[in-house]
Amino acid sequence: MRIVRICCFSTDIRQKKEVRPIITAEDLYFSYTGAAPYLLDHLALHIPDGDYVSVVGDNGSGKTTLMRLILGFLKPTSGRIVLTAKRIGYVPQRNDFSNAAFPITVFEALDSYRRLIGLKDRSAIDDSLKQVNMAEHKNALMGTLSGGQAQKILLARAIMGRPELMILDEPSTGVDMNSQEEIYAFIKRLNTQSGLTIVSVEHNLDAAISNSTSIFHMTNGHGHMCTPRQFLEEFLNTSRREHDHA
Amino acid sequence: MLSYTFMQNALFVSVFIAILCPCIGIFLVLRRYSMIGDTLSHASLAGITLALMSNQSPVLGAFVFTALSGALIEFLRGYFKRYSDLILSIVLALSVGTAITIISSGRLRTNADAFMFGSILTVTQTDIYLVLALSVFSVGALILLYHQMLYIAYDEEAARVAGVRVKLINYVFSVLVAAAISVSIRIVGVLVLSSMIALPVATALQLEKGFRKTLLYSILFSVIDIMLGLFLSYYLNVAPGGFTALVSVAMLLVVMSAKAIRTRIQIARGKPGRA
Ligand SMILES: Nc1ncnc2c1ncn2[C@@H]1O[C@H](COP(=O)(O)OP(=O)(O)O)[C@@H](O)[C@H]1O
Ligand SMILES: [Mg+2]
Repeated sequence: MRIVRICCFSTDIRQKKEVRPIITAEDLYFSYTGAAPYLLDHLALHIPDGDYVSVVGDNGSGKTTLMRLILGFLKPTSGRIVLTAKRIGYVPQRNDFSNAAFPITVFEALDSYRRLIGLKDRSAIDDSLKQVNMAEHKNALMGTLSGGQAQKILLARAIMGRPELMILDEPSTGVDMNSQEEIYAFIKRLNTQSGLTIVSVEHNLDAAISNSTSIFHMTNGHGHMCTPRQFLEEFLNTSRREHDHA
Repeated sequence: MLSYTFMQNALFVSVFIAILCPCIGIFLVLRRYSMIGDTLSHASLAGITLALMSNQSPVLGAFVFTALSGALIEFLRGYFKRYSDLILSIVLALSVGTAITIISSGRLRTNADAFMFGSILTVTQTDIYLVLALSVFSVGALILLYHQMLYIAYDEEAARVAGVRVKLINYVFSVLVAAAISVSIRIVGVLVLSSMIALPVATALQLEKGFRKTLLYSILFSVIDIMLGLFLSYYLNVAPGGFTALVSVAMLLVVMSAKAIRTRIQIARGKPGRA
């Protein structure tokens, strides 16, 4: 019951602000087999322009799958997703990204990407490297970078085309503490200063609560949007209940 | 030996092979598709036997049949997502079946051995023009699609986010693989073709450079391998394909040893390099 109330409450706020939605998904069903049981089961998602949304949920709850659907790598079994953003930056989940031995330099990874998105301006490479404090690693091999450094390069790549929407999948997994802080500060700055819409899958609940404007909590194939504060209360209630039972 | 026309022809064709094979090979190796080279070279044998039976150019026959097989592999990939090696077995069965049936029927007017083992004696003027045309076409396509192909190999999802038409380019790529194989088959032969595609790249990967440098070193190693293979096989009077394959394995071992020795020296001096 509580969940339903929170859900209505937060949509009310959104309607008052009347911002352009950047991602809209309705009646979304998805399973990898194309049949029941559905991993995403009648899911709805509305993300307004300019928000910083953290997507949280247990392992295997379908967070990465939802991102892949939004990006168009997967087709919904039924339902649809409307994306108004044309330019998207994507930072993939790094433990999925098993290509560490690939012979490619930081410069090559960025320069080829720049050409693919049709960006003529070569200085975009140095600019974005500077923004993530990685300028001096331009000629390094990707495979020799630490987890945090590699993640910063992926961030630099994602911002190169001045995206309207940035999708990140567990940006702090496999990243040392110092880089984690740096990375979250950077993402937060993109959102507050450049107004970039952020959708970030988070297993790091601290980061989700302290950085995002809304939290999309996924359970049993559904999701509900709440404020970080509501999420925290909900979380504390659940753990207290579990504690009482024990 | 260079005064013989056949040797000049062979040398000319070899240079193109040496450039083309690693250009294709680097993408196959990095996408962990090396075995496709093997499957497709067997497909080219089927194409050759079909062409010989109907009095067509064997290089052309190889190209058409191999390109179709490459497209078939790409197509089947959508159906057998989890069992992609199965696809190779299917195409291999189809190709080897065709080739063996035709060869054993005794209806070939020429001997197919030259294509199995590679031979420099049989390179004709028509072959040279075809090799030239296919090579120019392939290298041109590779230059045009360089960044797309690099990203599909490196990070396919990022390529898609950037708007690369992955499926289309994969089809184009299978045509390029077919071209490289049909160009090479005359000299190198079916049996060791996949080593020409993979070994110079494997050698260059030992140097741990970026993509462009790795590609350039693969071409360099490939040229050295095939030239050495060609000359030595001529003096030893053995098939050039087989000997080139041996040379490329030797080259890989030399580079690996040199790297190991260098690391030892650096450790001894107390400043270890990258492992
Ligand atoms: N390509 C796939 N094919 C089949 N099942 C998959 C595939 N990718 C993920 N799954 C399954 O879907 C479920 C959700 O995965 P995922 O979206 O990665 O979850 P999360 O990111 O929330 O941890 C898991 O049970 C996972 O095993
Ligand atoms: Mg995930």
